[in-house]
Amino acid sequence: MLCENCKERPATVVFKQETMNGTTERHLCDKCAFYSQTFSFSPDQEPLSIQQFLAHWLGGSELLQGQKSNETFPDGPKCPSCGLTFHRFLDIGKFGCATCYDTFREQLPRVFAKLHNGNTNHGGKVPVSFNERFALKKQLEDIRTKMKEAVEAERFEEAAILRDEANTVKQQLADGGDDQHVI
Amino acid sequence: MSFEKFIKQELTGWMVAKGEHSDIVLSTRIRLARNLQSYLFPICASEEDAKRVNESVDQAVATMEEHHFAGTSMSDLSPLERQILVEKHLVSPQLIDPDKYGSVLLSEDETISIMVNEEDHIRIQCIYPGFQIDTAYEQANQVDSEIERNLDYAFDETFGYLTSCPSNTGTGMRASVMMHLPALTITKQIERIIPAISRLGMVVRGSYGEGSEALGNIYQISNQTTLGKSEEEILKDLDNISKRLIAHEKKSREILLAKSQVHLENRLYRSLGTITHARILPSAEAARCLSDVRLGIDLGIIENLDMAILNELMIFMQPGFLQQYAGTELTSDQRDVFRAKLFRDRLGIECTQAPGNNSEKS
Repeated sequence: MLCENCKERPATVVFKQETMNGTTERHLCDKCAFYSQTFSFSPDQEPLSIQQFLAHWLGGSELLQGQKSNETFPDGPKCPSCGLTFHRFLDIGKFGCATCYDTFREQLPRVFAKLHNGNTNHGGKVPVSFNERFALKKQLEDIRTKMKEAVEAERFEEAAILRDEANTVKQQLADGGDDQHVI
Repeated sequence: MSFEKFIKQELTGWMVAKGEHSDIVLSTRIRLARNLQSYLFPICASEEDAKRVNESVDQAVATMEEHHFAGTSMSDLSPLERQILVEKHLVSPQLIDPDKYGSVLLSEDETISIMVNEEDHIRIQCIYPGFQIDTAYEQANQVDSEIERNLDYAFDETFGYLTSCPSNTGTGMRASVMMHLPALTITKQIERIIPAISRLGMVVRGSYGEGSEALGNIYQISNQTTLGKSEEEILKDLDNISKRLIAHEKKSREILLAKSQVHLENRLYRSLGTITHARILPSAEAARCLSDVRLGIDLGIIENLDMAILNELMIFMQPGFLQQYAGTELTSDQRDVFRAKLFRDRLGIECTQAPGNNSEKS
């Protein structure tokens, strides 16, 4: 069997690593195994070995201190969708799903600031569909405000028209957009 | 369109030694990381999830009008075929992990590759020859916008595109330029340049990825941060730094030539001798000699040698390609012998030795 890393020399060392999905096993030659331990070799191609970086530099220290006093969540918040805890996230350095971002929203700016030269907010491309949805949501909110005013002023006919409008917009929001019901 | 041609055809778009500054910049690559809103990221997805993501992406890509893609899942390829796609830089080493459910969609001319179920659900990669940052980004951006019309991306107003690794969050973009910097390496200036560049939010590494030394004096310069700056700002920074490196490399070549022409010529011709006459050629030595000969051609010292052949050899010398070319599996020792023979053949030096079995143990 050839070394999985260099694919040149025969594999002589089995290199086991704990990941989120359990233990991974890599068969390496002496040389690659030596480097993998010395320089925290990581099989992915990120410019930085993020796992090591997060786990050793951020993890365990200041980022978790806030949570440690909280006995109900010894591992920090837990993502309801994929089950990842904040503690585990710092360990493996990867999110499990999009909901993780919501779950760890309060903690993330500090993580991002360290990774991205102090930046914590996105400043680039926005998907068109997201903009459209955003515009529709805004429109829906406006209609509702007007509708409320109409109801309060007892202009019920106007309110009924507005309600129909709101329903149309709501249908356009393909994802249901909002969990509030229109009257 | 059959997928076989991507494996069989040795040369790919980015290897043609064209494009601006092609004497120093080998290729420009843009990668966009995207995820779908309603599925767990590949790191914790089940096989079922992965299949559904695959189907959704396939459908979304099939509706694209401007480009036609051919796709395959990694599990349908042999280990050697997967290795070849990595060596052609058409897929990442991470995608071919046999325990995962990765697949790839490639455009006909191989400039666009869409990796599915890598670290993120979707990774759009555009790779162009020479220095073409803007062209490569326009292409990637266009593919991204088209896919987005049919799929719901995981996106957040504050954090931007949501990716599995926090180092990609925001634009999800990694832009990189692959450069041949022999003069900066010979004069050891590169050692001072690398830390300076990393202070500017960019990262320099050997072409074979993290932690690897720069084999063949080939370096990859890419953006390190993805959050905060817009795509255009990131690309502009990369453009500036790359241009400064190109200018610096050119200057160093001139100085090298002016100060020690005989020494330089000696080194370059020795390397030419090695690749045209060696009988055993390990990959590190081959890469070093190719770098020297390439420099020799750029400086007009070595003539009558086609740069395209050198580019080709750079790719051919890798283990996967060698074995495909040989049509059989080769041990490391056998590869070194075969590599030497391949170099002699391609460089047009007739092998006048008595015919022997080349896969014989050295």
